[in-house]
Amino acid sequence: MGFLDLFRRDTAPRAKRRERALFDDEFQRKLEMLALVSRRVFAGRLRAERRSKKKGSGLEFADHRDYVAGDDFRSVDWNVYQRFGKLLVRLYEEEEDLSIYLIVDCSSSMAFGDKKKFDQARRLCAALAYVGLANLDRVTVVGVNDAVVSRMPTTRGKGRIFKVFEFLSQLEPGGVTDLGTALKTFVAQHKRRGLAVLFSDLYDPAGFEAGINVLRFNKFEPYVVELVDPAEARPSLKGDVRIYDCETGEERELTITDGMLDKMQRAVSDYRAGIERFCAQKQVPYFPADVNTPFDELVLRVFRRGGFLR
Amino acid sequence: MVLSGLPLAQLLMIAGGAASVTVLLYILKLRRRAVPVPFARIWDAVFRDRQATELFSKLRRLLSLLFQLALLALLIFALGDPKPRTSLLEGRHLVVLVDGSASMKAVDVKPTRIEVAKAEVKKLARGLGSADRALIVQMGALPSPLSTMSSEITELDPAIDSLTASDTRADLERGLSFAVDSLRGLPKPEVVVVSDGVLGDVAEIARRVELGNAQLKFIPIGKSGTNVAISEFSVRRYPLDKSRSEVMLEVANTNDRPAQVELSLLGDGTIIDVSRFLLGPNERLPRYYQDLAGASRTLEAKIRFADGQADDLPADDHAYALMPERHRARVLVISKGNTYLEAALLLDEYLDVTTVAPGSALPSEHFDVAILDGTADVLPETVAAALYLNPPEGGVPLKLGARLTDFGFDTWDKKSPILRFLALGDVQVANGRALVPGTGDRVLGASDQGPILVSGARSGHPFVALGFDPRGSDLVLRVAWPLFVLNAINAFVEEDTGYVSSFRTGEVWRIPVPSSIDSATVIDPHGVQHVVPVKEGRAVYLGEEAGFYKLSAGSGSFAVSSEFAANLSDLAESRITPVTELSIGRKKAQPVVIGAPGSRRELWVYLLAAVLALSVIEWVTYHRRITV
Repeated sequence: MGFLDLFRRDTAPRAKRRERALFDDEFQRKLEMLALVSRRVFAGRLRAERRSKKKGSGLEFADHRDYVAGDDFRSVDWNVYQRFGKLLVRLYEEEEDLSIYLIVDCSSSMAFGDKKKFDQARRLCAALAYVGLANLDRVTVVGVNDAVVSRMPTTRGKGRIFKVFEFLSQLEPGGVTDLGTALKTFVAQHKRRGLAVLFSDLYDPAGFEAGINVLRFNKFEPYVVELVDPAEARPSLKGDVRIYDCETGEERELTITDGMLDKMQRAVSDYRAGIERFCAQKQVPYFPADVNTPFDELVLRVFRRGGFLR
Repeated sequence: MVLSGLPLAQLLMIAGGAASVTVLLYILKLRRRAVPVPFARIWDAVFRDRQATELFSKLRRLLSLLFQLALLALLIFALGDPKPRTSLLEGRHLVVLVDGSASMKAVDVKPTRIEVAKAEVKKLARGLGSADRALIVQMGALPSPLSTMSSEITELDPAIDSLTASDTRADLERGLSFAVDSLRGLPKPEVVVVSDGVLGDVAEIARRVELGNAQLKFIPIGKSGTNVAISEFSVRRYPLDKSRSEVMLEVANTNDRPAQVELSLLGDGTIIDVSRFLLGPNERLPRYYQDLAGASRTLEAKIRFADGQADDLPADDHAYALMPERHRARVLVISKGNTYLEAALLLDEYLDVTTVAPGSALPSEHFDVAILDGTADVLPETVAAALYLNPPEGGVPLKLGARLTDFGFDTWDKKSPILRFLALGDVQVANGRALVPGTGDRVLGASDQGPILVSGARSGHPFVALGFDPRGSDLVLRVAWPLFVLNAINAFVEEDTGYVSSFRTGEVWRIPVPSSIDSATVIDPHGVQHVVPVKEGRAVYLGEEAGFYKLSAGSGSFAVSSEFAANLSDLAESRITPVTELSIGRKKAQPVVIGAPGSRRELWVYLLAAVLALSVIEWVTYHRRITV
């Protein structure tokens, strides 16, 4: 056994421990709490917002229409006939399962800074998946970078959360971000439209708008959760350096000063403000998720904002 | 300013080469630290400011280059060993005579005077000008140079460290003579005496030594001290009863106050006598211990204050002596019968006497001495030495001369161990024969008519011949007779060698050894072996330490070993009151001013210090990210 083997032997278990710690018992207890809280806060109030536009055999009355030959007699509203003498057929809302697509950015930039962003994204993804599964929604988890790198088949039911955990644990960050291309593939693979929650730092060389627009244009309801690491806004650099993009390898030679770091901080703020502005204009819900904020607090913030649950 | 190291042309070549390499290295593209960032596009906003900062960056790099070149210039300048022009003027030449006498062991200044002297000499060496040179000399019984005439601290420091004080007096005369000889012909000579001033009769020395143009400087050492000493110590066996011995010692109080002292006498390491008495101011008190018993080999004396306090000079508080060693000597007497001779031989119980009649067969075993009484039998090789009394014609190792009547000893060798303690002036002899000494023989006693007592050696066998029958004189009625017989036997068996109970340190000792030996080994009290030459049957050695010594010589069956003792026994050294001024003739010693003008100024040290300081500044600014 060589000297380097010591490190090799050590790193693998450490990575496993880290993954286990990602979805440990404490995490699962918090998920349960979030599921309860979501029911108490949103029960009834938000269900109407998620009713299908289809009329069908649901339980909830939607409208009347004129009877035409061939309609089911059982749906004729006899009370109306008695009062107005017109044959009207009762229409009910078609109840359908909500499809929730949880899209996790698996590009290299998500792993930057000790994988904090990636870990936070996975926790948030797991939390929202649990809430969705608990509400009997159809949950699909997808990992993307410049393509769809991994996909967990659509599932439902609270008991399937461990499958979600397993899938998320196996996700590995890497590759270049190209949300536009990746999400085009995604929409092609998923004909059933629904809620698409994108967990990403939105460091897309092709522009963050491309990916969101793909979802919008294909009738998905995009939901943007931007992973934010404040340390990236003011890195501890000084002097003559050669910076390179961790995804593309693009290089810049700089002599970094305090003033330059201030400017960098402003540039990051501007970039994020641009994302927020775009989402507001396009009525896309947007949540900045600080990697240093506990995930349960972030999830509750998402609930309060509304729109995630029916 | 002049360069005393590498020449200027060489320095310029080195500077040119090194500067070129430095500049070349700076011209090469700076290898920047590679730092990953999550999204390089965001940096584009700040990248636009690069043009503005690039100039400043270049300027800082230029400053860094200039800084490196400055460091380089300082180092190369240091290689040149620059010195002020004044320091290249003719330097002084110093001979530093450091007193290594016993009084420098005094502890009135801590830790000892010699250690303080070493510290002072070190200060002096560090205060030397760059052109000054010094020679460190330890001034003991003989002046010992410990270094060459040098200005290098690396040579002077070890020499100073090796300075020690011995149990001898310092021979200032020899020291000054050595210094004058060493400084002859050298510019700006100076003699620096580092001493407590206990240097003997300086006025007398000044008459014999001429310092010439050498300056005299003096570094006084010591404050004041109280001391009591054993100034003399010796022991001897009674000549006629060697089982008993007597001790003579002298104690001295060198202070101006009376002192109550305790004197202990140790025989073979065990206390055999303790006495307390009062010594008056500056009193010397001889004491005798007669009929001393309880010691067979070693004797030691120790003195201290009665209250248990130690004085300031421990070196003279302890004295050593050895009792003469006793050997059982085998004596062959060839005589028709001589009552006086037999009586004399009975006095020494350590004699193993065999008597045979003249003409009879001689025993074949070994004998230390044969006494031939009125006969001249041929002795076998097994007999080591012979004492002839009234030898007949023929057979004697020397010829007989004229017949003598009514004579006595008109001259005799009082220093001869054979005639020690003998009073022969009025011995009356009726008849006898003059002896004709051969080559190398020694006349020990003679009447006005011719030699009557001769010693010598034939074929390696020593002999003593007496030219008359002692029974025909009144010698046999005197104490001198048995003493003569026993002295002669002692001399033959070389038992007398131990009779010097102790030597005096600082003198050349001549320790008797068998004359057939060329060299001997002396083991000093510290266990260090010294091979010493043997000349005329004496091992020659200059001892400087008090204590017990061992001497061994020869090998195999000829191996001999003996012990002897040495003592300081020098009252002058025991007077440890320091002297603050020193004058040699008309020259009064000047004090040494250390660190005065002419002190060592090595500019290269300051240049290196500057390099170090600049490096520290660069290091600090680097870590504060000011220059990077």
